[in-house]
Amino acid sequence: MSALDLPLREQAAAVARGDVDPAELLDEALARIERRNPAINAVVETFPERSREMLAAAPDGPLRGVPLVIKDEWPLPWRAQRFGAAELLAPTTPGESGPYRALRNAGATIVGVANMHELGAGSTGNVSYYGPARNPWNTERCPGGSSSGPAAAVAARLVAGAVGADGLGSVRFPAAYCGLTGLKPTFGRSAMAGHHMADVTTLIVSGPLCADAADCRLLGSVLFGEELSAGEAAGLRIGVVRDTVSEDVAPEVREACEAAVEALRAEIGGEILDVSLADLEAATLAAILLVNGESLGGVTPERLNRMSPEVSPIARGFIKYRMLLPAAATVQASRVRTLMRRRLAVLFAEVDALAWPTVPAVAPPLTEPLVELPSGTHTADQANVRGAALANLTGIPSISVPVGLSSDELPIALQLSAAWGRDELLLDAAEALERANGRRWVESLPPLAQAEPEAAEA
Amino acid sequence: MEGADKAEEFIPAGLASLGIEADEVDLAVMNAAHRMFWPAIRELLSLDTSEIEPERQPDLSKAPPQ
Repeated sequence: MSALDLPLREQAAAVARGDVDPAELLDEALARIERRNPAINAVVETFPERSREMLAAAPDGPLRGVPLVIKDEWPLPWRAQRFGAAELLAPTTPGESGPYRALRNAGATIVGVANMHELGAGSTGNVSYYGPARNPWNTERCPGGSSSGPAAAVAARLVAGAVGADGLGSVRFPAAYCGLTGLKPTFGRSAMAGHHMADVTTLIVSGPLCADAADCRLLGSVLFGEELSAGEAAGLRIGVVRDTVSEDVAPEVREACEAAVEALRAEIGGEILDVSLADLEAATLAAILLVNGESLGGVTPERLNRMSPEVSPIARGFIKYRMLLPAAATVQASRVRTLMRRRLAVLFAEVDALAWPTVPAVAPPLTEPLVELPSGTHTADQANVRGAALANLTGIPSISVPVGLSSDELPIALQLSAAWGRDELLLDAAEALERANGRRWVESLPPLAQAEPEAAEA
Repeated sequence: MEGADKAEEFIPAGLASLGIEADEVDLAVMNAAHRMFWPAIRELLSLDTSEIEPERQPDLSKAPPQ
């Protein structure tokens, strides 16, 4: 087995012990990207010399010598982000983003830039300037978005960890579709400097995507700049909202998530409580309006009229539509944000975590990202956002945890959310859930990650 | 909903007032977006939020003050 197949934490430990040569690990990662990436288009650029320079200068940090990828949403000193688009409406330049600094200071090696849904505006990853990323579990399926490349890269074991960003579910959706663990941190806890919206966003955060919670804890600690200490989730009170987000889901998703919640309860001696949270649909729309409004800073009609013809028709039309949205709706969205934050503060006095499916159906086809739910056929974006937006609107942390495979061998995921600052609790709960199911789902590998015999890795 | 039915008036008028150019494809996407979002926006606008005391400069990393 290649060291690249080890969890992130074990790669770091092996390098620290001297059992693995980090230069060889980097070469292996580059070689594996060359072999496996054409099938999934997860990594859109590598820069071996820059990576080797990072490794040569790597301090003795918690990720020393470990290769990682970073989403095309963050500038690097040698490369401006493209945001998955032919053109970004905000000016960008190469530079040291917060996540870059965090990785560099931890000793990590950035081995490539990962694909993403164009302009961060989709939950599927099937639209990108670089072409769609593909799901390693089935390359005809969406990998999820907007952090499509980070998720596909980790699922295919090109690397063991990736940095994404989450403004309306963009870490959690691809984690769910690709069978990974993805953490959307509490707003403001993880590194954001250098993001082209860092000064205006009230919703977007950086976040880790890894195979399991322990790796997310390690990479999350690096992004947070503080140790996310491990604890026990004993006695966790799990709230299940009986609403569209937990009820209008594909039957096998619902079944797997209900079983996971029960398994978690049994593992930690906790309790399950049915809770109500009104106005979730309004909260979802409020989050969409706010993130769309924030993304329009500096955009002028003249600028839109000069937009590159290579920007996809969907993105072009949506950006222009955003310009017509009434300011009153954005003001109302802020009110709804306040309302939901207060309701959640009350709710989190009664429960420690909220649980519902991360996405209501498994990864849809790349060519037609529609999902079948009890209420009918929906676009994946419409269906997915309603379970994710609340965390971004209110600032609370959420985690997506793999909890099963569908009948057609596609990952199913449960989302857990907790009160502000309780990111560690979510990681504890995710680890408890992994124990409860014998780590079956976090250790499941997609066909692409099983494809090569060991000899081919040498 | 009535508002959604008027996309063919609302969108061209809005674009014209802002001086934003749009081709047929842009308009088709915008009409689809309007059908998707406008009914919900109208519902949002009709919510009575007058009783909600605004949270001034909310710190989204923390619970709101009670």
